[in-house]
Amino acid sequence: MNWVYPIAKGLFEPDRDISPGENLFFKLFELFILCYTIKFCFEWAHYTQIRNVDVVLPLGVANYIDVSLFFDNYLSYLIAVSILLFSVMAFFRKGPNWHYIVVILLFHLLYVIRFSQGEIPHSQNLIGLSLLCFAVGLVWYPDNKTMPRFIIGSILFFIGLGYTSAFIAKLIGTGFHWFDGRHLWLWISEKSIDILSREGVYQPNFLQSLALSSVGVASIILLIGWFTEFIGFTLWWPKLRPFTTTLLIAMHIGITLTMNIRFDAFVIQLILIGYPWYKILDIYFKETPAWVVKTL
Amino acid sequence: MKQTELKSGMKIIGVIFLVFVFTVATHDGEFWPFSIFPMFSKAGNPWTRAMVLDVTNLENEELWKIHSLNERSAAAISLRKQGVDQIDFSNFVSKTNHWSETRTNALLTMFDNEVPQERQWMIAKVRGELDQEDLITVQIHPLFLLSNDRIIRNPLLDDSHYFLREE
Repeated sequence: MNWVYPIAKGLFEPDRDISPGENLFFKLFELFILCYTIKFCFEWAHYTQIRNVDVVLPLGVANYIDVSLFFDNYLSYLIAVSILLFSVMAFFRKGPNWHYIVVILLFHLLYVIRFSQGEIPHSQNLIGLSLLCFAVGLVWYPDNKTMPRFIIGSILFFIGLGYTSAFIAKLIGTGFHWFDGRHLWLWISEKSIDILSREGVYQPNFLQSLALSSVGVASIILLIGWFTEFIGFTLWWPKLRPFTTTLLIAMHIGITLTMNIRFDAFVIQLILIGYPWYKILDIYFKETPAWVVKTL
Repeated sequence: MKQTELKSGMKIIGVIFLVFVFTVATHDGEFWPFSIFPMFSKAGNPWTRAMVLDVTNLENEELWKIHSLNERSAAAISLRKQGVDQIDFSNFVSKTNHWSETRTNALLTMFDNEVPQERQWMIAKVRGELDQEDLITVQIHPLFLLSNDRIIRNPLLDDSHYFLREE
């Protein structure tokens, strides 16, 4: 299909040679995913063990199995420790190449155990999605020259798709008037209760005060954010990627300021994957470091 | 990357994409880590959250009254300081329609039975909406009183407020 080729070319950049900087960047990016995976796992396991009591909202496989079985007896910790062992082995390429598949399955299980309390957070989605791409890439591309390109390309594909699908979801869910500033007023008031409840005090910041002072200003804020989501798919092409990434990061900062929702892992991952960092690394590394060659 | 690898790469992405579409289509848009990111897709709807208020010093007649956020005289308890995830708590309270004994006692467990001696904490739903004059109105609806390891329902509300439907 003719229309697929430009997307494939943008994602995998077949005309560009693989460089030492690219290999090093790939491994550092994998380390970032590994660290956040371990961080999330132990946070979720700890919270599950001390707080989860009843399943309020079954997500994913929790629709088919009773995940409350994992609330006690340190079973959530057992899953977290298993993820730690398998992911570290996968990172160092010790043992079979399906370790990341075990990691993503256990990671999904731990997510639905931890977040069975009613809230559906999304700030961990990019880490999970990246792990999935690593799992698939390592199994289907045992040739390590091609594998990093496939993994980074597929992650970029699903990040771009996610933003654009969020734009479409708003269009279908509400319609063209989604960007009406009064909607932002409602969200700001809702999130102000979350902050008041979390901290015991709440004061609107400058941007919130500005949005609440005028429906026009609030509408412009929403419209800019919505447009930025729409162009998410342009991440698929390397020439547009840095510009889109910058807009997406600005959008996330805007969401944090207006609605007090933080996307730390999301934003760090965008910063890592949205810019051609390998070009800087190539200046300092003329050969791929030995530890990267061993673990690629 | 060779042409054949380019094609196989897109085929694999295509297969993952189909799995993505199938799982989110059959699970209300969410099958982690797949998501269509539907948050904020339905704009303009009234919302319900929850909070905990220190009502120790309130008179009995004030205790259970529905009141606006602006009229609030009781201090909000910081859930972060209690080690409770505020979003979880809010969803637990706002999305529970059938307050069974297990669910009710889960609130005590959530706070680890740590309401200080001689203190009274009120668990309240907080509802917000846009009124006809384009103003945001936020109202506090007292739901449960926590004190001395006990939990008491709002006597001004009948059973229908606690058992909206069977789950």
